[in-house]
Amino acid sequence: MPTEPGNVSPTGVTPPQPGARRRFKETGLLGVVVALGLLLSVFGGSMQIRDRGAGEPRTVNKFLRADNLDKLAKNTSFFAIMAVGATLVIIAGGIDLSVGSIYCLAAVCGAMFLHRFGPQGAGAGASPAWVIPAAILLCLGVGTSCGLLNGLGVVLLRVHPFVITLGTMAIYRGIAFVMTRAQAYTHFPEQFTDGLIRYEVGANLYPVPMTLMVAVTVLAALYLKLTVTGRHIFAVGGNEEAARYSGLPVERVKLKVYAFSGLMAGVAATIMLGYYGAASSDAGKGYELDVIAAAVIGGASLSGGRGSALGALLGALIIQTIGNGIIILEIDQNYSQIIIGAVIVVAVVLDRVNTVLRDRRLANAARLEPGIDPRTPI
Amino acid sequence: MATVTQACSPTSRSEPLRARVAFREVSKRFPGVAALRNVSFEVAAGSCHALVGENGAGKSTLGRILAGLHRPDEGSVVLDGRVCRFSSPGDAQRYGVGLVHQELSYCPNLTVAENLCLGSLPRRGVWLDRAAMKARARRFLEMVGATCDADDELGSLPNGQIQLAQIASVLAAGARVLVLDEPTSSLSLAEARRLEELVGQLRRQGTTFLYVSHRMEEIFRVCDTVTVLRDGQHAATRPLAATTPDELVRLMIGRPLTAYFPTHAERQPGRERLRVESASSPGRFSEVSFSVRAGEVLGVAGLVGSGRSEVAQALFGMDSRMSGRVFVDGEPVSIRGPQQALSLGIGLVTEDRKRLGIVPQMTCGENLTLSALDCPGGRGFWARAARCPWCPRRPECLRLWDWLRLGQERSWIRDYFARLRVRAASPDVPIATLSGGNQQKIVLAKCLARRCRVLVLDEPTRGVDVGAKAEIHRLIDELAADGQAVMMISSELPEVLHLSTRILVMRRGRVAGVMGRTEATQEKLMQLMAGRVGETPQDLALSPVVGDGAQSAGEGASAETSHAN
Repeated sequence: MPTEPGNVSPTGVTPPQPGARRRFKETGLLGVVVALGLLLSVFGGSMQIRDRGAGEPRTVNKFLRADNLDKLAKNTSFFAIMAVGATLVIIAGGIDLSVGSIYCLAAVCGAMFLHRFGPQGAGAGASPAWVIPAAILLCLGVGTSCGLLNGLGVVLLRVHPFVITLGTMAIYRGIAFVMTRAQAYTHFPEQFTDGLIRYEVGANLYPVPMTLMVAVTVLAALYLKLTVTGRHIFAVGGNEEAARYSGLPVERVKLKVYAFSGLMAGVAATIMLGYYGAASSDAGKGYELDVIAAAVIGGASLSGGRGSALGALLGALIIQTIGNGIIILEIDQNYSQIIIGAVIVVAVVLDRVNTVLRDRRLANAARLEPGIDPRTPI
Repeated sequence: MATVTQACSPTSRSEPLRARVAFREVSKRFPGVAALRNVSFEVAAGSCHALVGENGAGKSTLGRILAGLHRPDEGSVVLDGRVCRFSSPGDAQRYGVGLVHQELSYCPNLTVAENLCLGSLPRRGVWLDRAAMKARARRFLEMVGATCDADDELGSLPNGQIQLAQIASVLAAGARVLVLDEPTSSLSLAEARRLEELVGQLRRQGTTFLYVSHRMEEIFRVCDTVTVLRDGQHAATRPLAATTPDELVRLMIGRPLTAYFPTHAERQPGRERLRVESASSPGRFSEVSFSVRAGEVLGVAGLVGSGRSEVAQALFGMDSRMSGRVFVDGEPVSIRGPQQALSLGIGLVTEDRKRLGIVPQMTCGENLTLSALDCPGGRGFWARAARCPWCPRRPECLRLWDWLRLGQERSWIRDYFARLRVRAASPDVPIATLSGGNQQKIVLAKCLARRCRVLVLDEPTRGVDVGAKAEIHRLIDELAADGQAVMMISSELPEVLHLSTRILVMRRGRVAGVMGRTEATQEKLMQLMAGRVGETPQDLALSPVVGDGAQSAGEGASAETSHAN
């Protein structure tokens, strides 16, 4: 109330308790991290001694060996980046089922472009200095546009986002299929694949996807916590009507989160193109469920208003680690779906229990409060 | 049917059998409120027993207990001489008790016939017997005099027909005791008359009624006995022939005016902040005109459904069909949504705090500043982006481009917490953990943080305990003294009488009158609210209510013609 500072009596100020919020925000994540650590230690414990390398026998931890961790980080990065996008949508009270298809469409568009200007394409010999940025912009642009279309559908048609994105999921994949005629596109400029995304440090270590994943997560986390739009996203998902009555631009917020989700699918598609050097209309089939699962394990509430970018990253990491562990422990692959499904349910139930306990604690604290406050003469 | 045999058990033989329903020392508590305390009275068989009282006196709770929606904490309900413990409305229905709700409750997507037979759908084998269902529906619709068809979708019918269909469905379930909770509050005059006739007709066939209503004239026409509840306690039961509306009003208010109201701070009403001229919205309110000046509290009294909240919503841009003119600070404006209303300086504290006021998952502080995050420097994206760091309105702004200025925000929150005496462990606890009173203070602070100069408060003390109520009253008084223009809608007459500079009374979507603070009394307000014809005291400064009767008659006529086929 800076306009009339004279009215404020500083005596009645409740002392701010900075710790209270941090604990509240991170208990859910802490559970995720603990679960993750537990899983890692279990896998670390199942150490196997294997011969490896040319000629000389070496003992390495099967899970903790460098190229396995790198592979895990790379696999995680696609899902984590998309899960961060999905988390924003879920926080805003929506759902985006079309991420897998947007990922596919963006990848296919980028792949056709790169193929054309690649070593075997019609435009071979074009300077990579503009081809590569253009390809990246194309992927991101296609992703963002698809997301924006989802958002427009949700806002203008006032149809439930589940239905809209269920429809666009099929539409976008169909477009990708028609465009490629079910062919795979390869032969991209080397400067894009080996020179950029598959940039190699040491033997078989590719840090770019992981770096991008961390960067995206940190930026999204800051966006959610430190910007006005971030605050609005939580408000719209928490109580859309109250947000509207508070004068928030509810429709614009929704557009933004769907566009952001599309953009994240575009980023993931770019990484995939560079890493694998190929794309077809099958890319990203069924990813939407893994992505949403990662967001949910990371603490996003499907009823809106709750979730975090870091949680999404950890959620994706958990799912991938379990997949990785199943391979390492040589468990029958057929069980992997059952195990991952069970983990999703358990994680959400634990989070639920945690929320209930926290609310009860806070409610008790609040109930005690009025009686002990002597400052208020009535 | 084990539950049914347990639900009612015979009492001692000495029970006088002419009482169809008897309440014995019924008490019911809800979190934070004692809704009913030791209420005892009897309803004679075949009578129409009126239940009156102020809002929150416990009328509806009592009706709901009889219909099995609530269970009493203490005491019992005696039906035909047997003590009953209904555990569900279905249970009560099997004993012949039916409830017709205040808010119409039904499945709008089903047909009239389906709604009517919902509790016991006729079957042939495993299949639904549509023909039998329709025949049964038609029989009962005819009985209550509804003109709708059994195949109509219920949600598409006018309120009057829905109300009749609901009564029909309760009768179809075999009800001999009917609880009507504010049955006419959503009906037009003609529809209400039709309902009154039906009540009389059913009584002659032996049905007993518990008739919850606010409307005096209606009670005196329809009922024969009346019970007055006051603050959850039984105040009196009288035959209506032996009482007068004035006596009832006295009994309803009853309590000595409480001393917790603030001393009325000196206010000098300043210039006119908000003026509304002949605002109308079809089906909600019509020809509403008033003005609010800086430094004054305009109290708005009226029964539930009189259009008070609808006017508030329309002022906030949530009614696209509103016509009429609105002036803010003398400038004509058209308000198309909350965003615009807020930027004009109009703040609304809604009556439904949980649904429209707060975001429960967010912290107190975040809720407080939710409206205030907008750029005060006006529209225009590029202009705003270019000059943001050098904006002259920097001190009253919580953002730098899209970034939150968290330090600034924190100091605002601290200031408002101190000024409004919000009691919370910290601004960082979720708002849902606060008591209703503290939540309400934060909703109020949200409007203040947005620099609103016209505050529209819709039931500001609903669901707030007594202590916090007094604080909110004091706060409203202080705000007015500070130069805010306050429009306060309230169902609590003492609140309106003590806080208002002027009082606007609404009835059936129209302004029934405006009174100064000194001339208003509870009795006068009640009379205006309930619309007792021919007894309007001379000294009231009445705004024109010409055409009220004509309009109602017109409404009735149109309602009749539309159901003629």
